Amino acid sequence: MKSISRNLAVLATTLALGVAPAIAQDGPLVTADWLQQNLNDPNIRIFEVSVDTGVYERGHIPGAVNLAWHTDLVDTVRRDIVSSEGLEAILREAGVTEDTTVVLYGDNNNWFAAWGAWVFDIHGIHDVKLLDGGRKLWEAEGLPLDTATPEYAASEIDLTEEAAPLRARLADVLEVVEGGADVSLVDIRGPKEYSGEIFAPEGVQELSIRAGHIPGAVNFPWGGAVNEDGTFKTADELKAAFAAIGIDGSKPIITYCRIGERSSHTWFVLSRILGYDVRNYDGSWTEYGNAVGVPIENPTGTVWGRI
Amino acid sequence: MTHPTIRFGLPLLLALALAWGFVTLNGQGVEGRPLALSLLLGAGFGAVLQRSRFCFYCNFRDLIEKREASGVIAILVALAAGAAGYTLIFGAWLPTPALDRLPPTAHIGPVSLTLVIAAFAFGIGMAVSGSCLSAHFYRLAEGSVISPFAIIGALLGFGLGFLTWNPLFLAMTSNAFILWLPHHLGYDGGLLLTLAALALLAVAALWWARPGIPAPAVPLTLREAVERVFVTRWPAVVAGLLVGGIATLAYFRVAPLGVTAELGSIARTVGTNQGWLPSSLFGLDGLRGCATVVKEALLSNNGLFVIGLVAASFITSFLAGQFKPRRLTGKDVVRGLTGGVLLGWGAMTALGCTVGVLLSGIQAGSLSGWVFLVTMSAGILASWKVARMLRLS
Repeated sequence: MKSISRNLAVLATTLALGVAPAIAQDGPLVTADWLQQNLNDPNIRIFEVSVDTGVYERGHIPGAVNLAWHTDLVDTVRRDIVSSEGLEAILREAGVTEDTTVVLYGDNNNWFAAWGAWVFDIHGIHDVKLLDGGRKLWEAEGLPLDTATPEYAASEIDLTEEAAPLRARLADVLEVVEGGADVSLVDIRGPKEYSGEIFAPEGVQELSIRAGHIPGAVNFPWGGAVNEDGTFKTADELKAAFAAIGIDGSKPIITYCRIGERSSHTWFVLSRILGYDVRNYDGSWTEYGNAVGVPIENPTGTVWGRI
Repeated sequence: MTHPTIRFGLPLLLALALAWGFVTLNGQGVEGRPLALSLLLGAGFGAVLQRSRFCFYCNFRDLIEKREASGVIAILVALAAGAAGYTLIFGAWLPTPALDRLPPTAHIGPVSLTLVIAAFAFGIGMAVSGSCLSAHFYRLAEGSVISPFAIIGALLGFGLGFLTWNPLFLAMTSNAFILWLPHHLGYDGGLLLTLAALALLAVAALWWARPGIPAPAVPLTLREAVERVFVTRWPAVVAGLLVGGIATLAYFRVAPLGVTAELGSIARTVGTNQGWLPSSLFGLDGLRGCATVVKEALLSNNGLFVIGLVAASFITSFLAGQFKPRRLTGKDVVRGLTGGVLLGWGAMTALGCTVGVLLSGIQAGSLSGWVFLVTMSAGILASWKVARMLRLS
């Protein structure tokens, strides 16, 4: 019933504006219904960015191209995001042009899809959309999956050399902590990581040898931004939730987590959904917590190796 | 002769339990569906193993000692059918077998001296305990008194494997290489080479074998059909095609076939929780094969696959009247436990067993599967030689 009314709304908008359905959905998110109706639109290119290996191959949204986050979207040697040339090659192979609407989705609540959106944005593909609810919702609704790998005619696209200012480095964070720059820091890890009770969540290997958080950071665990079904909360709900911890967009924001991927999810919420001025600190706690001679806050006082 | 109430009642109960498990898991939505499918695939695999006596060790021994080739032919057909099936899937998932990428989750394992030693030890374990791990699972259903001890031994062996993992990794495994045939020969070349090697082995086996006495042709009546499905051993080619088919479907929908991941995970979880095992196992979680993980959820795909395997083989074994336990001796316990320890240690160190490395590896076009095949066979032959010498002395 809900989907019928949603479809009717899309139809009504389409008729009223006299445009193709492909551009009927503005904003940073697309719904599963909308995506399903626009699967055959050549101007839309869908990418899956999932954490788990083999999920894409055993069934993905028809036509979606796979992006392996740990090889395609990073420089594996420099601990850096993919270069603009690297991303350019991927986009050309996937047939993406300047007019293409890029939609990303993935497993685990779109964590890495949001991170992909951040990487795309840095390299000049600004209006990347996320499938609201990601893979989880698509599967839960029983929508069709495909197992064949699509191949597209290569395109010509030139990415700008200049990176968009969406990335914070250690120096930028220290400018806030020690230099007094007027920027809000948002730590999106779990409360026990934030308080310093634990070094990292269970089973995680990338560690910092100090526990705690960056001085002055407020804690907003990323999960607070999503509903049970994996969709994002409404803009109003998100606005209120962040305002409650003093993040209202009145000054620039830096988000961080452990390795910078989950915080891209919050970057997406604050930057793309709420329109705030946000940078993501991808060095995150594994860089900051390990850096020599920088201050931290460690409310529980946990010290590495102390018996 | 088993009493009819038990012969038909127990299989019925087990079939109902399997059906209930499948329906319940399948009803749990996205998370439950792969578990349900694993249970079903495991049941299919177990039924085929039991009905065709698809036992790597017994078939190898039949060929060498009794000069009977049919069991080995079943294995070779399974490898060939699976290799063709895998190649079809690879072509869809990874259109060009590019150099820096491997098809997801396929058991394209590392080749190193560690693999050679582990597969050799596994071969000795097979000879000592009387079969490999997958066969011990279905032979439980035939009342084998050794198999329970072999499985317990394997759990211990896995624990030992984790203990020796780090030194072996630093000395040898870290230098391992991966050789995936399609990388070098393309999908067509890789498959052709695999099929040619298997055909050569089949020719050699048939050349060595002595033809058995052909069974008199019996017209296919309903009674005869029931007999052939539920009682007599399935023909080798049918069994091979079915195993190859199940392997392909399992890879397509869930994961490559393997029977040790859950066993290893149980050993690793217990060992880690008790503080017996090193807290980090170098590189282990990054290598391809039967992945052992510290368990976070009670149910896993591999666990349900093995449960399905054992349950279905009980069903077919009882229906066929093949549940025939004999009196347990001290020798059975010793052979089961020591053989099992070698099987477990070998399977942990080689990242899988005859199913996970040999079958799933060769089907995927990985050199690791062939290395396992050769050194495991060497381990078996060496064990026989030692056994003969001990008896002579």
